[in-house]
Amino acid sequence: MKIILKYILTNVKERKTRTIVMLLSIVLSAVLLFVSFSIGTSYENAQQKMARGMAGSAAISVSPLSPDDTVGLDDIPELTSIKAKAGMLEGSALYHEDGYYETIDLIASDLSLLNQINKPRLVSGGDIENFTGYKVILPDRFTSKYGIEKGDTVILQINGVPTRFEVAEIASYDTVFLRHTRGATALLPESTLAEILQKKNGYSEILIEPAGDVSAGELADTLTEELSGRPLSVSKVVNEEQIEADARQKSMPFFLISFFALTMSVFIIYSSYKVITLDRLPIIGTFRSIGATQKTVTRILMLESALYGFTGGIIGILLGTVILKLILRGMGDSLSAGIEIPVVITPAAVLLSFGTAVIVSILSAWIPVRRASRLPIKDVVLGMVEEKHMPNHHAAGIGIALLVVSVLLPRLASGKFLYPAGGFSLLGLISAAIMVIPLVTNLLSKVLERVYTVIFKNEGMLAARNLRDNKNITQNITLLFISISAVIAITVVGNFVNTYITDVFNGAELQGFADGEMDEDFIRQVEGMEGIEKILPVYVFNNEMQCQDHTFSRLEATDNLELYNSMFHLIYSKKDMEVSAISAFSETRSILLNEDVLNRNDYEIGDSLTLENDSGRNTYTIAGSFKSRATDVEAVIPSAYAIPDFKPAVYHFLAYTAADPDSIMIQIRDLFGNTQNWSRTVEEFNTDALSTVGVFLEPMFSMTYLILLLAAVGIINNLLINYIQKRRSIAMYKSVGLSNRQNIKITIIESLTSGIIGAAIAIVVSYLEIQTIFLVAGPKISMSPDLDFKTFLSAGLLGILVTLAGSVVPMVKSRKMKLVEEIKFE
Amino acid sequence: MKSITGNIAVEGKNIVKDFIIGDTTTKVLKDISLKVLKSEFVSIMGQSGSGKSTLLYILGGLDTPTRGTVSMNGIDISKFDDEKMSRIRRQKIGFVFQFYNLIPNLDVEENIMLPLLLDGKKIRDYRKRLDEILEVVGLTDRKKHTPRELSGGQQQRVAIARALMGSPDILFADEPTGNLDSKTGAEIMELLQSINKNSGQTIIMVTHSPEAAKSSDRIITVKDGVIL
Repeated sequence: MKIILKYILTNVKERKTRTIVMLLSIVLSAVLLFVSFSIGTSYENAQQKMARGMAGSAAISVSPLSPDDTVGLDDIPELTSIKAKAGMLEGSALYHEDGYYETIDLIASDLSLLNQINKPRLVSGGDIENFTGYKVILPDRFTSKYGIEKGDTVILQINGVPTRFEVAEIASYDTVFLRHTRGATALLPESTLAEILQKKNGYSEILIEPAGDVSAGELADTLTEELSGRPLSVSKVVNEEQIEADARQKSMPFFLISFFALTMSVFIIYSSYKVITLDRLPIIGTFRSIGATQKTVTRILMLESALYGFTGGIIGILLGTVILKLILRGMGDSLSAGIEIPVVITPAAVLLSFGTAVIVSILSAWIPVRRASRLPIKDVVLGMVEEKHMPNHHAAGIGIALLVVSVLLPRLASGKFLYPAGGFSLLGLISAAIMVIPLVTNLLSKVLERVYTVIFKNEGMLAARNLRDNKNITQNITLLFISISAVIAITVVGNFVNTYITDVFNGAELQGFADGEMDEDFIRQVEGMEGIEKILPVYVFNNEMQCQDHTFSRLEATDNLELYNSMFHLIYSKKDMEVSAISAFSETRSILLNEDVLNRNDYEIGDSLTLENDSGRNTYTIAGSFKSRATDVEAVIPSAYAIPDFKPAVYHFLAYTAADPDSIMIQIRDLFGNTQNWSRTVEEFNTDALSTVGVFLEPMFSMTYLILLLAAVGIINNLLINYIQKRRSIAMYKSVGLSNRQNIKITIIESLTSGIIGAAIAIVVSYLEIQTIFLVAGPKISMSPDLDFKTFLSAGLLGILVTLAGSVVPMVKSRKMKLVEEIKFE
Repeated sequence: MKSITGNIAVEGKNIVKDFIIGDTTTKVLKDISLKVLKSEFVSIMGQSGSGKSTLLYILGGLDTPTRGTVSMNGIDISKFDDEKMSRIRRQKIGFVFQFYNLIPNLDVEENIMLPLLLDGKKIRDYRKRLDEILEVVGLTDRKKHTPRELSGGQQQRVAIARALMGSPDILFADEPTGNLDSKTGAEIMELLQSINKNSGQTIIMVTHSPEAAKSSDRIITVKDGVIL
């Protein structure tokens, strides 16, 4: 055993470059896996934290059925399933400055109880003290926006009455101040808010944290039972499933990174080991000739790969932890208010990353090692081993079939089969490409042989011939295509997620909007503003229009559906629906429904719905359904019918396009004067959204660089392997008269060609992968990915450049080659 | 025996070759001088490690001497740069190795044509010569096969054909029968002998085998880096 260990360690020491490359690829894979697993969890955690906002660790809310009533802490029974509870007083106010209106949610609680479920974090550190009277604690995200400092006085309009508050402290945009809706949250002293709201004997809601292993659902059921018959409502603070699903969607790129990192590391280690075993054949022969069994030889070589796996895994996790902390700290810092994002390292992530590093190393080595240890002793000792030639057409046939299945499967699967089908398709596409590459390369080589002979003369012909049946070249192309397609897929999906989250108006024509009461005169004045292009005023019915049991949270009326469609980028459920809806709107009482509303209420196109508000009622026919990310409207009706039927007094929303949207917005804010409004340009809105949510995606882009680094390591590793295997062939060429100049020419042509083939295959495969990813995620999103050809092209060019750069080493090395040593080596 | 007063094909003067491994310098060739005449078939013999192969590679321009000069047709080639030396390898010399050294992904024809292809020539312009050579080495029916589809003897025939294709001044052979069974080895030697006899091809061959050396006009024995 000792001698075997010594042999292994000597191998590792003697082959420094290869050991470094092997270790680097395992370390990088382990880092990527570990960081992407952990960042996904940390990200989910941060998402949950944001969604919970004010509730903190509380999972259940008990509130009075009537908003005018209150609920007391005594109303909650003493249960062992309850860990902590805190009463919350809640009100609302408006903050107005320079034409901007911000909605402020006022909250107050007994601080000792609030600290148990969601302790506010002050920017200055320390605890809240002497918090009485007309004082307020505001989040720094709000104060920095308006230049408010501790000790300043702010005026909040509560029920139309301006009320002055002293800013007692500035808190981090965290804990109770976190929110996923626009506006800000302000913490007031309990007695002050109770006085303002005139609710001195109770709270607006009680937040409850379940004990230990009690689930929110279980506690909600218990409380519902205990409080039955009382005018109280029990509800879960957040929909955990929904948060989980949302977070999963947003962490999709991270898992995509893991997937590619894994695929690449398998390939790098496998190809490295193939060469290592070939290189070790004389030693294997010696071992076997002195009586070592197949099993012993396998064990010796496997032990070496396990050593790489263990070392790489451990270094990877340690390095990964540092990188994860740096990334998360960066995320927290870039948020203007500095949300504290927990570094969540689960044992599962550690085990999975470490296990993968070890298992991938062992398994990738197993195939070549097993093959080598089974070789006949005589052949090994005499150096008569040649690589087995698998008939290309078999593998290619299987590859083509697999390609077809992988493309079709996600298109045919639905429901719970969609995710497994997607996973199979992603793996299948890569495997299929690997199998088809030798065939594609051979066919191309035949075509290129003629083309290159004309362009590059005989050197071109020889370079093209060298591509044929050349395992090194196909290995290079394979690694290159995996790397490039990883970069493309991650970039496209990452950009998509970024856009999806931060640009809800993507595809919508509007450039600015105003939310407030606007009469015909107001609209006319906006129409007269210089530079205004299109304007769409809309009547809005918020929580007032009823239809049987359903109350529309938002129903809008417009006199120009065509403009409405383009302004809000409405995506109709069926292609021809838009045209028929436009014509129906001008002819009859028609209604368009959001797809969710249509499906939730089991309505069908053509059904008649009776709409009713305080001013009237009438029947409208469903003319179509849509989805849109730019508006949360549930239904749209023609204003020509809405005006006589439901008598809206003024417009409540206005969308516009203009040569200079900012200038129009300033004029609109001016027109509103002191009237409450919420008016933004789309750019302004997106900047706001980006400052909170977009920053979560930054780590993903830093991870893309790691993927690129892994890809570069892989390609260099392969080129090194390529050179090791090719140097004898170069020596053979040189022995019959190949000059260095010709060698450089042939090498460049070969590298360029394999780079181009790899890039082309990567572009096709990544396009298919992106299709699969969005087919699987598609049913949940109403937006298509932006397939910018530039991304594909630049990734492809980058790959070609890396390959060309990598060929410099073989070119330099072969210049200094000692011909006789290479030729005589067998 | 041919006259040694004929023209000189290759001449080595005071050839010294040192190998440095770590701190140790091993003198492999110690001031060797020799001449090989045109159309001569010379065998170089000696024990393993005697320096015979090193001498062959230095004479053939695949290796450079530490000291001394090598002239071909009266021109000193030992100071040639890569471009000039490569041209010499393509046009003036042919090499046959023990392990054939064929390019596995090129077929028989392409392997044979390789020196000419590297010299910018087209296969179509050399069709007749190619067919003749294939006929000489007995591989006409194997011309579209790749090396891995041939036996050891056939591969060595391809190597000989490749070495002869460019009508070189000198053919160097390093243990051409070393990797073959005795029957095939004898066939290869017969082939080399007939080429030498029929076309006056100069051949310098390194061999262990006294049997193979019998085919040559002259035998040079090298021992401990000097010619005996």
